[in-house]
Amino acid sequence: MILMHPQARALMQILLNRVRVLEKPQELDFHLVEFDDVRYHIQAFLKEPHFVTLSIALPPRPPETVFSGGLPFGAIEGVRATFGTAIQIVEPPEVGYNLTIKLDLTKLPEDEGDRLQLLSKISSLRAVVLGAPLREILKHLATKTVSPDADRLVSLMHRPKESCYLLPQPEKVTVVFPMRFKDNNDIILATAFLQEFMEAGRTAGLKNAPPCLWSPNPPMELKGAPTHAFEANSGFVTFVIFPRHVDGGKLDRVVWSLSTFYAYVSYHIKCSKAFMHTRMRRRVETLIQVLNRAKPDTQKEKKTAQGRSFKRLV
Amino acid sequence: MDAASRPAVVIDNGTGYTKMGFAGNVEPCFIIPTVVSVNESFLGQSAAQGKGGWLAHHNAGVMADLDFFIGDEALARSHASDTYTLSYPIRHGQVENWDTMERFWQQCIFNYLRCDPEDHYFLMTESPLTAPENREYTGEIMFETFNVPGLYIAVQAVLALAAGYTASKCEMTGVVVDAGDGVTHVVPVADGYVMGSSIKSIPIAGRDITTFVQQLLRERGEPVPPEDSFDVARRIKEAYGYTCADIVKEFNKHDREPAKYVKQWTGTNTKTGSSYSCDIGYERFLAPEVFFSPEIYSSDFTVPLPEVVDKCIQSSPIDTRRALYKNIVLSGGSTLFKDFQRRLQRDIKKIADTRTIASDIRNGGELKSQAVDVNVVGHPMQRFAVWFGGSVLASTPEFYTACHTKAEYEEYGPSICRTNPVFRGMF
Repeated sequence: MILMHPQARALMQILLNRVRVLEKPQELDFHLVEFDDVRYHIQAFLKEPHFVTLSIALPPRPPETVFSGGLPFGAIEGVRATFGTAIQIVEPPEVGYNLTIKLDLTKLPEDEGDRLQLLSKISSLRAVVLGAPLREILKHLATKTVSPDADRLVSLMHRPKESCYLLPQPEKVTVVFPMRFKDNNDIILATAFLQEFMEAGRTAGLKNAPPCLWSPNPPMELKGAPTHAFEANSGFVTFVIFPRHVDGGKLDRVVWSLSTFYAYVSYHIKCSKAFMHTRMRRRVETLIQVLNRAKPDTQKEKKTAQGRSFKRLV
Repeated sequence: MDAASRPAVVIDNGTGYTKMGFAGNVEPCFIIPTVVSVNESFLGQSAAQGKGGWLAHHNAGVMADLDFFIGDEALARSHASDTYTLSYPIRHGQVENWDTMERFWQQCIFNYLRCDPEDHYFLMTESPLTAPENREYTGEIMFETFNVPGLYIAVQAVLALAAGYTASKCEMTGVVVDAGDGVTHVVPVADGYVMGSSIKSIPIAGRDITTFVQQLLRERGEPVPPEDSFDVARRIKEAYGYTCADIVKEFNKHDREPAKYVKQWTGTNTKTGSSYSCDIGYERFLAPEVFFSPEIYSSDFTVPLPEVVDKCIQSSPIDTRRALYKNIVLSGGSTLFKDFQRRLQRDIKKIADTRTIASDIRNGGELKSQAVDVNVVGHPMQRFAVWFGGSVLASTPEFYTACHTKAEYEEYGPSICRTNPVFRGMF
């Protein structure tokens, strides 16, 4: 796995299991937590076994981002547009959660493929809700219309209480991520990783990818951002998105990759640590072999068939 | 938000299957085979090949680093192509291959549960005879690679006991009969402490039963294709196996009414796609019988399970013995056979009663000893009892105080993971 999948595997599994055992109804109650503090609660009751309610709670938002009705800007519209009549939005949402949707399992499409597609769409609810504001801005870019907040710095929630910054312009959108890591080793690995990441983006095969820049100092685009935006211990990553990156069916993928950029980096740091450990173990093994080879041959005691040795006790 | 306010992640790595999920839930989110398929095709190429030479070889190795799958996906991939080789990181309850184990955990956390390990406390499990060094190693990987804020490594038997206690009462004394896929353990526990010297282990478990069924099918000449036969045997064992009260009577029953007892199995050959069908006969009750009369399967180990349980209790401290007889808890997939619990209870009771009567006779009938109360407990969560117990324990507030934290790890090193305190939630 190189990129994070937009579908939450656990949600998908639960929904699929539910569809399979629809004839033998059971209570269903799961609390799940994902990266960046997104929490799900999925529930079904014995009374109405074919209804499944799914609630999603978002991480606490940073002060500078704009929310409407407890959700990112345009999230409700996004949910309606993606799922259509397949689900109902429950008002008000469950206590402690930001959005609750209700799904009728008897009304799923008959066709196996369509059904899988709908369920996988539902399990990527997070991408729809959290990606909504970013999608809105990039949509304007794709159609080359001027978005209402052109040339103005927009901050979007990226991680709990942290935001990334966008500078939408008619012909391009600049996205800046201030990278912060908790662990000291992680900071070093992240810095190296991001530098390498930037270098890799310049290779010939990736000419069409969005230009990516890493710098230890805040880039000029961040001018006018709140002061805490400049505090980053692993530098700043800047992506420039052009209309050709979001045309056709690429929009959803770009939105998802950008909104999980931090999770992507942190996942790869863990992977590279595991990789280093593998190599360290291999090295230890070879060194032990060398040591074993260097052992002096001990004189093996010769014994007779009866198990007596020739050595005499003096 | 503090990590202690989020539910802990509970991962129970068994030899056959790994159960993982979040504490506080009733069921694990995933139950997947503990297997990793690694792409080792790059290893075959010699470093001198091609123009890139060493660098190309190195890059291929680096790229293959993320090219692996776990669980059911791994099995599917290795069937489909030859580039992947399967590796089972756990053998007989012990981690053997730490490379693949680390990768397995990595996928569990990031791909399956999709959580950030820095946000959650972790509860891992280990089999009762694991060496402290292995615990250290687990701790090292969890703290160093994944930066978990806290870790607790629990003994599977204790968790299996904890799974039972919500149903009835807080009983942390009992014998756990844990028959999984790789190894069967009989573990006496008193007040949450494992009595290490009395642990008995039996080299017969789920995989051996499957092999036994496979062998019976093969000897009878059933038309099962050899490459699928292990899988078919496993499914037959899971779907049709049951425990009988008397093996001779059961044979008679089968012979008199084959229409009622002999089942049919139809499957398709994975290679050619043609279908076949075979009969399922005596192996239905002979499969679990391996536990009660192991001589039918192996000549190395011939002590029946009830006798092992009895021996285990007899070697425990005398003041715990009655309590241990009263609470014999089953856990693990291989105890799921129908009526397994009843048969085990009957056999242990017989052994205990014989001993009581013998001692009464020795005493000359003057002192009558009280009959021993034998009770074998099964519960609805038996298949993942260990995980469920972990989920229950990790959702108590005391769990977070019993964990080893990252700060402690950095202060004292991995040796802190050697011991894991019994905490108040266990009583």
